[in-house]
Amino acid sequence: MTGGGKGSGAVLPVLAAALLGALALSAATGPVPVSLRAAFDAIFRGTDDTAARVLLSLRLPRALLGALVGGALASSGVAFQALLRNPLADPYILGVSGGAAVGALTVALFLSADASPLLPLCAFAGAALSAMGVFLLARRRSGVSPERLILMGVVVGAFLNAVIMLMVTLSPPGKIPGALYWLMGDLGLGTPRRVSVLFPYVALGTVLLYLLSRGLDLLLLGDHAAFQAGLSVERVKTATYLTASLLAGSVVAVSGLIGFVGLIVPHGARVLVGSGHRRLLPAAFLLGGAFLVLSDTLARAASPAGELPVGAVTALAGAPFFLYLLRRNGRRA
Amino acid sequence: MGRVRIAVTRRFLLGCLPVVALLAIAFDRPGFAADRFPLALKDDRGVTVRLAAPPRRIVSLAPSLTEIVFLLGRERFLVGVTRFCNVPAAASALPKIGGVIDPDVERIVALSPDLVLCTTDGNPRDKVRALEEMGIPCFAVAPQDLEAVFTAIERLGILLGAADRGRAEAGALRLRARLAAPPSGDAEKPAVLFVISTTPIIAAGNGTFMDELVRLAGGRNAAARFSGRYPRLSVEGLVAARPDVIFVAGMSGVERFPEEVTRWKEVPAFRDGAVITIDGDLVTRPGPRLVAALERVSAALAGWRAKAAAAGAGGKR
Repeated sequence: MTGGGKGSGAVLPVLAAALLGALALSAATGPVPVSLRAAFDAIFRGTDDTAARVLLSLRLPRALLGALVGGALASSGVAFQALLRNPLADPYILGVSGGAAVGALTVALFLSADASPLLPLCAFAGAALSAMGVFLLARRRSGVSPERLILMGVVVGAFLNAVIMLMVTLSPPGKIPGALYWLMGDLGLGTPRRVSVLFPYVALGTVLLYLLSRGLDLLLLGDHAAFQAGLSVERVKTATYLTASLLAGSVVAVSGLIGFVGLIVPHGARVLVGSGHRRLLPAAFLLGGAFLVLSDTLARAASPAGELPVGAVTALAGAPFFLYLLRRNGRRA
Repeated sequence: MGRVRIAVTRRFLLGCLPVVALLAIAFDRPGFAADRFPLALKDDRGVTVRLAAPPRRIVSLAPSLTEIVFLLGRERFLVGVTRFCNVPAAASALPKIGGVIDPDVERIVALSPDLVLCTTDGNPRDKVRALEEMGIPCFAVAPQDLEAVFTAIERLGILLGAADRGRAEAGALRLRARLAAPPSGDAEKPAVLFVISTTPIIAAGNGTFMDELVRLAGGRNAAARFSGRYPRLSVEGLVAARPDVIFVAGMSGVERFPEEVTRWKEVPAFRDGAVITIDGDLVTRPGPRLVAALERVSAALAGWRAKAAAAGAGGKR
């Protein structure tokens, strides 16, 4: 639990390069052949053939969406882990996912097909409502304790899960596949419009968290120590909670429930740059983005049985990687 | 000349259909086939089902089976069906025993059936076993292709004491299926995509009834290169598959492609407006109406071939 490790100065540029590499690989992968030449022409000469349009309106938006979603989930995970002083916290722990799912399923299952543009909006509203609800339930006169937040989050999450199961059971059968794929996490909705809708939320949330990084460092020491160090603990906690929920909620709204990124990427980033948030937050964003873009490329390319849900790939690839990091770290310590 | 003769033969055979059906009904007197009882018949699981007499209290655990019971004229003995059994309309009025994957064992037992018709594609095995342990004979049917559906109709005919009716109905369906198939030749085969969901795009792959319908109707399945039965396609996957015709099996869900998908005019089906909605029940239920689905698919592909031929004559292709 010390600050940035020695000799880690080059980590951030390396991670940035890794993200760029992942984006390039993702843009080069797909069933329609796109030559390097065609890609160059599409980007710099504005050609308008099939290859160019596949690259510019399908692959690049999807890759960028993956980078934004992965980065936002990882940043949100860092914030929740500091806020709750719990290494197992992730962006979904406080009912955000359940609320978003109920919002999205309401649109997907019970409104007409023409209402699907409403889906991200309702998912976001559901996430925001449940996040606020958990926060208000957990707050007492003495302030918000991590234990109470987790407890309330788990209770509200369990309740919302029951609602989700009921909704899926009672819905018309033809509408279930779409809802299930969304629940499993899916970047297939990556359109230029969705990327531009998501970008401001992610940018705002990431910058806000970065501004809070000194407060997050102090929070790790415990409320009392943080207060003695001159931190207005409650204000930092509230700001962190709302910002991290905003990030998670807006991301869930466009990509569904992609698990594991928000949980493991922060730990991976901590191994690389230590737990000082000024370096940890950018590192987690870059690593999360690269990880999700690579996972999505794998989900699109690896299976002969059509596309896999990216959420399954993140967990399949992420869990062993996480174990490797833990073991390597344990041996070094 | 050859073309004309084929058309005449077809008309003649089609004209025979009512006669065949009438004969079937004429010979379908209860006593006629009942002398086969007691009978022992092996079902599609390999379980031998024994009946002392023609069943008089039948429960059906799948919509396709309910349709077949009606087709065999034994609907007066149906005492329970699933909540999805809505064809023919009279089936909706029968007592419900739950769904296909969640039949209510207790409700079925309460109806004291002397035969339960079930399917291995959907009905949970342990629920069927529970019924069998109560001493209720369960006959499982699992047709995987069109011919197996016809065979199932014949076998259920024997089981329900309507063997001749079963044989006649199956024969009539076989005839219709044969007439729906285009004359074999080296006509161009359109690439056909059958989707059961538009958002996300889920196509019918190898081993599905829809795949068989496409092939019988003289097309080739544009999703055949995927290994799964119901592969999910990205928009790019759809663009790469370049289907000439797309059938959307509407399942009371999203039945239209969003504009951001249809604007890909690289896909011939979108360019030419060859996107056809077909009732989802028609193509996913392994029952007699699969033949009606085949006729619709076949007619649509015949239209495509005629257009392609006209375009070819005009020197466009």
